[in-house]
Amino acid sequence: MSQPNAPLAGVRIADFTIHAAGPYCTHLLSQLGAECIKIESRTRPDAFRKPHAVYGRMLAATFDQVSANKLSVRLNLKQPEAVALAKRVVGVSDLAAESFRPGVMNRLGLGFEALRESKPDIVLLSLSSCGQSGPDSHFAGYAPLFGAWGGLGAMTGYSDGPPVEMRHVMDHSAGLHAAVATMAALHQRRRTGQAQHVDLAAREVASAMIGDALVQASVGITPVRPGNGDLGMAPHGIYATAKPDRWLTLAVRNDAEWEVLLQQLGRACRDPRFTTVSGRLQHREDLDRLLGQWLANCDADAMAERLQQAGLCAHVSWNMEDIAADPHLLARKALVEVSSPDIPTRLAVGAPARFAKTDDVGIRRLTPALGQDEDYVFGELLGLNRAQRDDLEAREIIL
Amino acid sequence: MSDHAVTPSQPLSGCRVVERSRTVAAAYAGRLLAAMGADVLMLEPVGGSPLRRAAPLLEEGGESALFAYLSVGKRSLVCDPALPEGLKALEHALNRADILIDDTALHDRAAMGLTPETVGRCYPKLVHVSVLPFGAMGPKAEWDGEEINLLHAGGEGYLLPNGLSDELFPDRSPLKIYGHFAGYQGGSVAALAALTAWWAVPVAGAQYVDVSVQDAVLSVGAFALQRLGDGSLEHRKTRRFRYGGVFEAQDGFIELLTLEDRQWSSLVELLGNPEWAANPALRDPLERSCRGDDINRHIRAWMARHPVEDIVRRAQELGVPAGKYRTPVEVYQGEHERARGLFAPAVLEDGTQVEVLVAPFKFCCSPLSGGSHVPALNEMAQEMRT
Repeated sequence: MSQPNAPLAGVRIADFTIHAAGPYCTHLLSQLGAECIKIESRTRPDAFRKPHAVYGRMLAATFDQVSANKLSVRLNLKQPEAVALAKRVVGVSDLAAESFRPGVMNRLGLGFEALRESKPDIVLLSLSSCGQSGPDSHFAGYAPLFGAWGGLGAMTGYSDGPPVEMRHVMDHSAGLHAAVATMAALHQRRRTGQAQHVDLAAREVASAMIGDALVQASVGITPVRPGNGDLGMAPHGIYATAKPDRWLTLAVRNDAEWEVLLQQLGRACRDPRFTTVSGRLQHREDLDRLLGQWLANCDADAMAERLQQAGLCAHVSWNMEDIAADPHLLARKALVEVSSPDIPTRLAVGAPARFAKTDDVGIRRLTPALGQDEDYVFGELLGLNRAQRDDLEAREIIL
Repeated sequence: MSDHAVTPSQPLSGCRVVERSRTVAAAYAGRLLAAMGADVLMLEPVGGSPLRRAAPLLEEGGESALFAYLSVGKRSLVCDPALPEGLKALEHALNRADILIDDTALHDRAAMGLTPETVGRCYPKLVHVSVLPFGAMGPKAEWDGEEINLLHAGGEGYLLPNGLSDELFPDRSPLKIYGHFAGYQGGSVAALAALTAWWAVPVAGAQYVDVSVQDAVLSVGAFALQRLGDGSLEHRKTRRFRYGGVFEAQDGFIELLTLEDRQWSSLVELLGNPEWAANPALRDPLERSCRGDDINRHIRAWMARHPVEDIVRRAQELGVPAGKYRTPVEVYQGEHERARGLFAPAVLEDGTQVEVLVAPFKFCCSPLSGGSHVPALNEMAQEMRT
């Protein structure tokens, strides 16, 4: 296969990950140029190929955004011969990635030590809810549970309300951190020639998002949930504007910015409580009420533009239609158009960064059909001829 | 001797990083690299990084818990590249670095010699990662944003809160995620970009990489864009699991989510096989979805009668994904976290000892050393004098 002009060109991944977090990690790496071979089977396809009735519709709506670029092969890992083939795929790869519950890879015969037999310097990423060790390592969970266990859910919410459940951003943040750690392991391998097993616990990524609160907890402070407030900035919040459900986010960092805001809003404020940041923080609720009155009849988009021109931090709370129409994101290729013979042109999220030299990053092809790349993987990479593959299919090793 | 010199077996041992950070995103990028063994030198302005004074503070007027978290394991040198001696210090640092992470505002870069062109010309072996709220290129590159702006500019803020919070407070404004979630995503992408570009150096040479926090938020929120393409505009009021979610138990809150049929069966068992759940119609997942409000009403009534610990213990035994909404104190004291060595001691400038989360990943073959100290402002200058 021809290699893209991308930073990870030449890196190959044997990808056993399922659902969202693990596949997002390998999706990122594939966007950056790695060749990613996704290993599934007809009897056990990635759950994200299947419909999710829990969302209220029987459609598989979320697979593409973590599966583009990937190559697909089928292996029935309940069969020892399929496991042996999987190890051969690992043997020609730099990295293996999995997101089963801890212990599953060992039971399949694909644990770290087994993979090292096939590839002595393999980097294995294991991404799970709670990690490969510890008393809770067997816990099953999804993104909202990662947030709950890790403390991010409890720290998020209205000050007088319940915790808030984290959604796919939590999965993907775990996958993103996994990609960072995996890259570090690849560098270590390049430097030392040694194998590495990266153990990422998604709940610990949620904890990393409250790292400051955990430092507080370590010295006996009980952190409080701030809602939309900030402990150092006021005004700081999300304000209703003239159009229903069109909210303006605003963060005023210091007294000079407060003066600029007053100017831009054409307001004079002689209330001594609001002169200094400490006063504004102390009387935040009254201040927010005042801001609410001042902004209630404004056009949020025009106001955000105007405040930004004046050097203030403001932005409309955007929905996905706003994002899809944003010339800035399109210019950056953070949004890209994708299409295929059976998929009309639509937008997808592009590469996470813009590289000056190795710039062929992002989505190069869409989600593979199950098993569509077996000629290349089983034929070219593993050297299996047609008769051998037919035999493996007949015996449901390739399934 | 730096802390890094004694840990050559760390994943990024030998990797030299220069960090200029006024934002959480750039500081978190450096923090991730430092946690994995890179030698990270923070170049701070006279008076120190604004993050040194960022909330939350450990006490009134005291040290910043956020800065402690973001800077542990790094080193500090005061350096103002707009001044001749600062420029010299910058040149010295960059000449021996592999990676520069920089969040200098675009309009200040030329005066400091930090444009991509200048850096590329003067330091041809240096990976140069720019991380800015809206990136360094595009019509809004000069826009500025704090966390609350960026989480909403990337689309996730508009979708929060969903579920119980929205049901209880349907008329309130959307909500941000606690702390610096957007900044952390931007920082993670910057760290990924830095390591990826560094990986490509032998083939492609060093290069400049442009990272945007807004892009990073959109990237981790990609599913909402995919749904838009499917014809569905997500909204916090409709983006909720039809049943499951946040529940208030006797003594705290629980998250419960069942996506698979077998998990539903186990949930019914957890609830004591109530009569309402025996309705044959509920065997169909789509029908359960349609009756989600009714199901949640029953679950809420049951949860309110039971203590959290009993529910989650039994749920995990039965294979029902359920977990307690834990406070930071509970996470910090958690048996699981302690067993995994998630925290390590760190000493602040004033001598206070705290514990800091090491990193949200482990390297089984060469465990991260963690801990160390939070650098005093300009400590490197003193080191160089002695």
